[in-house]
Amino acid sequence: MTPAAGDDNRLLEVRDLQKLFPIRRGFLRRVVGQVRAVDGVTFHVERGETLALVGESGCGKTTTSRCVLRAVTPTAGQILFRTAEGPVLDVATLPRRQLRPLRRQMQMIFQDPFSSLNPRRTLLDIVAEPLVANRVGTRAERVERVAELLRLVGLRPEYMRRYPHAFSGGQRQRVGIARALALSPRLVVADEPVSALDVSVQAQILNLMLDLQAQLGLTYLFVAHDLSVVKHVSDRVAVMYVGQIVELAETEALFTSPRHPYTEALLSAVPKPDPRLRAQRIVLEGEVADAAHPPPGCYFHPRCGYAVERCRVETPRLAPVEPGHFVACHRARELTLRGITP
Amino acid sequence: MGSSVAGPDAKAPPILEVRDLRTYFFQDEGTVKAVDGAGLSVYAGKTLGIVGESGCGKSVTARSILRIVERPGRVVSGEILLREDGRETDLARLDAESREMRQVRGGDIALIFQEPMTSFSPVHTVGSQMIETIRLHQALDKRAAREKAIEMFRLVGIPRPERRVDEYAFQLSGGLRQRAMIALALSCAPRILIADEPTTALDVTTQAQILSLLARLQQGEGMAIILITHNLGVVAEMCDQVAVMYLGRVVEQGPVDAIFHAPRHPYTRALLRSIPSIHAPVRTRLPTIAGSIPHPYNRPPGCPFHPRCPDFMPGRCDRAEPALLTVAPGQQAACFLYGDARP
Repeated sequence: MTPAAGDDNRLLEVRDLQKLFPIRRGFLRRVVGQVRAVDGVTFHVERGETLALVGESGCGKTTTSRCVLRAVTPTAGQILFRTAEGPVLDVATLPRRQLRPLRRQMQMIFQDPFSSLNPRRTLLDIVAEPLVANRVGTRAERVERVAELLRLVGLRPEYMRRYPHAFSGGQRQRVGIARALALSPRLVVADEPVSALDVSVQAQILNLMLDLQAQLGLTYLFVAHDLSVVKHVSDRVAVMYVGQIVELAETEALFTSPRHPYTEALLSAVPKPDPRLRAQRIVLEGEVADAAHPPPGCYFHPRCGYAVERCRVETPRLAPVEPGHFVACHRARELTLRGITP
Repeated sequence: MGSSVAGPDAKAPPILEVRDLRTYFFQDEGTVKAVDGAGLSVYAGKTLGIVGESGCGKSVTARSILRIVERPGRVVSGEILLREDGRETDLARLDAESREMRQVRGGDIALIFQEPMTSFSPVHTVGSQMIETIRLHQALDKRAAREKAIEMFRLVGIPRPERRVDEYAFQLSGGLRQRAMIALALSCAPRILIADEPTTALDVTTQAQILSLLARLQQGEGMAIILITHNLGVVAEMCDQVAVMYLGRVVEQGPVDAIFHAPRHPYTRALLRSIPSIHAPVRTRLPTIAGSIPHPYNRPPGCPFHPRCPDFMPGRCDRAEPALLTVAPGQQAACFLYGDARP
């Protein structure tokens, strides 16, 4: 029903994704404008890899991930997902009834392990919930599966009759991961999975995610704002700014030789945990553009130190500058930008 | 540069010194010893960082200094010595509601919070709240106070300050709100600014702006800053001195360079190793700290870190609590690895 994605290894292919949210005003709730939350986003995720979507709040990274899961219906664009059965389906336009079996193959890990687990249900209920909803196995089989999942995420199966309040933030996040893995999904969308955790616990969860990926061949779409965290887990990174991808590259290339001025500024703004590396921070002037009234030309030009006249009038398109390295900047080929030296 | 040698100066005593502070919360389920024997020294014009994870008592320490600990919490013992021109006031002995303490809050010591949205009233303009604060501490009429508010907004880099003063907090973006909060805190020229996770709710580029702003204001005003954060990157960028807290106690303190390059306490070492670094090779596992932070009701006996410590010495660390010992010039650690100096 949809054009097949070319490469068998592409689990997910997003093309020209757009999501507009109407701004309503007045008694009649008339639409007076649009917030361009996601505005022409294109990327793909290969089987077994981790693609990170990074950017500051309001850049559209979370909306993009919600569209992929069809928790939000996109305004336009295609979301091609290669199902376990073989055919490639367009998640963006699939009727609700056909979405349900597909949802077993895509699961989500949430940010806040305190609000994402129902406090009145035991770990067994929580982790088995996707199994029950999809009528998988008998009760005894489900108990068995939950025990296996808890062990997988590093929790003792004896804990399954307990309630979430008895567990720390890190342990709760493990429960959230166990629930996400219950149906053996092909794609796991993790939205800021460690940002609500303490530093010493973050490392445990990041390691767990890496281990599970190696063990189960998982594919992650990893949404995060923390570039240090992203560096520890992702194969490729897409940097978003005001609803668009401004740079997409392999992790190493993006960090050591960024080609978009916004990526350069982001990398330089991360406080480095070493007092001997102080100073030389690029401080961007002004604020992130308003997605309801983006500036003309390149959305980043009002804050960009390298902007020229062309940037004020013409919108740059995402284009390759090197194999696998895509940048949306008119000056990508002429600029020498500063990255992170290992 | 040079900040690494900014250790305690023998000639100038700290302008604020906290000694053996204990702040407990008395609840039906038991007593939570949120701060249990913490000591700190704050020097004029310098930045002291207090780092630690949730429940370590860093925010309660700040609230104790300002005497704004909420019930059922109470400063149980210890000294909070505020010094000015040879005069010394023990804030721990003052009545929290007293006139003197109210003069200290906002006048001598100001506070900025993590979430600037909840720090402003939603029904008053940011300007009117600033004018009220300014007039509380300075003898200015309304018009002069308004001028002062606009001047402060300009100082912290808020564009079009004459218009912004008449707006409400919800009309400002997160970054502008935090700037307004800083303007409010600085409007009475405090000698000490306590910044409790001032950039945690902000994006990195906005965080960079706010950190630069704080550094610039400090240079201009010679103000001391107590920066409370869980972000070790922010500490490395901003602080002269660092105190690392764990379960209500300062486990290590010293000059920022020593803390990052020669940490002595096993917790500091483990914490530094476990943070995701932007300099790390791609897709690498991180060293972790075993277990998790104990619940405050189940505070382990002896050294509070011993159940998670790689250097745990049975029979020693679980029996007694180690005191802070000098381990290097200006650097102290509370750990039996460096001997036992119980008085």
